[in-house]
Amino acid sequence: MALRTEEFVVNMGPHHPSTHGVCRLVLTLDGERVKKVEPVIGYLHRSIEKICENRTYPQCIPMFDRIEYVTSMSCNQVFAMAAERLAEIEVPERAEYLRVIMLELNRIASHLLFYGVTAMDIGAYTPFLYGLRERELIIDLFEMTCGQRLTYNYIRIGGVSHDIPPEFVPKCREAMRIIGQKMADYEGLLNENPIWLARTKDIGILRAEDAIAWGVSGPVLRASGVKHDLRKDDPYSIYDRFDFEIPVQKNGDTFDRYIQRLDEIRESIKIVNQALNGLEGVEDDKIKAKVSPNFKPPAGEAYARIENSRGELGTYLISDGTKKPLRVKTRGGSYNQLQALPLMCHDVLVADLVAIFATLDVIMPEVDR
Amino acid sequence: MGVIKDLKNLIAGLGITGKHLGTHAITVQYPEQRDKIPERSRGIVVLLSDKETGELNCTACQLCMRACPTGAIVVEFERDENKRKVLTNFTLDNTICCFCGLCEESCNFSALKLAQKYEFSTIGKEELVWDMHKLQEVGRDVPYEDKRKKKKAAPKKPTPKPTEKKPEEEKKPQQTKEEVEAQAEKKAKPVDKPVDKMEPKPEPEKEKPATEDNQPGEKPKAGEEPTEQTGGKTEQAGDDSKDDTKKEGSD
Repeated sequence: MALRTEEFVVNMGPHHPSTHGVCRLVLTLDGERVKKVEPVIGYLHRSIEKICENRTYPQCIPMFDRIEYVTSMSCNQVFAMAAERLAEIEVPERAEYLRVIMLELNRIASHLLFYGVTAMDIGAYTPFLYGLRERELIIDLFEMTCGQRLTYNYIRIGGVSHDIPPEFVPKCREAMRIIGQKMADYEGLLNENPIWLARTKDIGILRAEDAIAWGVSGPVLRASGVKHDLRKDDPYSIYDRFDFEIPVQKNGDTFDRYIQRLDEIRESIKIVNQALNGLEGVEDDKIKAKVSPNFKPPAGEAYARIENSRGELGTYLISDGTKKPLRVKTRGGSYNQLQALPLMCHDVLVADLVAIFATLDVIMPEVDR
Repeated sequence: MGVIKDLKNLIAGLGITGKHLGTHAITVQYPEQRDKIPERSRGIVVLLSDKETGELNCTACQLCMRACPTGAIVVEFERDENKRKVLTNFTLDNTICCFCGLCEESCNFSALKLAQKYEFSTIGKEELVWDMHKLQEVGRDVPYEDKRKKKKAAPKKPTPKPTEKKPEEEKKPQQTKEEVEAQAEKKAKPVDKPVDKMEPKPEPEKEKPATEDNQPGEKPKAGEEPTEQTGGKTEQAGDDSKDDTKKEGSD
């Protein structure tokens, strides 16, 4: 006699530990198989865009820190870039180098955190400690430079807020050397591990055409085999001066998304080392263009976009010639990746859903803003 | 075959973690041991006192209040008989401070700093709203670099600045030449209120203070010009209401 079964609707979240923030997934389950996923967003909406409309331009930067707190530097950078485009400000060369160093360090820190928390979501605890240990080296560099460990408020309109302290360069080189060495450990822990492979290989495949159609960007897109990186395709700042590769994977499964980030760490280490060398050649000590405290860009609009560790991060500013922006709009990579989640979850186990969600590396504040 | 390979790979992973056997922990036992904090570390906001006189460096210029993105700082002042500003209270709401450091950057007089201190947990939320005295007390032992360069020379000398200012300068040792210059500068480019939650400023008031020694637009609630000259009572009221609106908005 066959038992009658029926589908069951379950709420996963909003306070589920693997959702990294507050994201609610409405699952339609058939036994342990996920038939349908529906992400429900908005639990972390803090209306940062609206708050920024009531702040002066320099005051918006601490707000932008909080849009995507894992890579605050890139949020600072994208806002500063948009404001600089509005007011046509030239950034000093030294500041550009410092910005690139900080952005890439932050990308490494973000990917190391990804490495740790993804492994922990899938059930391996050790990588979490490894990832966070090396991330600490980078966070210390940030704290030394700008005084804060997470919300930096470092990249400003027209430059950066502080020059690096003298001990920064040797410490940064040392950190890059250590992380470069530890990469072998990271891969040794997981890449060949049979449990890890069983949990990640051929799970949650995102095809390239789907990824493009849903506007997915960043490492998730590149893991699906699309070679698209704004640092190469639309070089901003001084990224055209550096020699680095854009790593690409083939399958677009969970494993590829994981390995994609590790490959990107290697490339970022290359960029940081080149930027540190380049910084030595810059004679001008100026780190900030002259920007009035009452920064008033002329009326107009500007869009800036950069490649951060979660894809394309863009900011659209409209100025009406006053001290406060008329409209601030942010485009975060996490939003599109979260929307593409149902595509990857055809008939997967609930545990695999957690793995897929983790490798998307979604930061909920960036989704809701 | 596959099983042997899997076992080998598992052991390889264990080997990596096994390398840590016998090595020291990289963490510290927090309350007893502490990591060294970098010099630039941004902790709690403190008010700095003059190294010699022990008085507050703050001149109640309100630049920090205007720079603060969250409205955590409220500077209250009165005017004495010479229309000189006297700081009456400096309130910092630590519950809404976001430690961005914009106040420290905006300050021209080394009046406040984000110190390297970070331990200020309390039982009640109300205890986190610190007034001038508490901020000064916490900031007593904070080392800082005095940005007021001409401090020594300025106090007794009448500066060749606007004539109406001269009497004030003599009386107030803290109001230095630089400060006067800075004020003059501010006069040139008026600063608006940074925070939306502050009182909507009447437009004519913006122009008014340009004739005074006072920066433009700093007291939106101060009312008409005469009240501002005669006493600080109305200002006090204005500040209070501002404080309320701010807290409301920050939620």
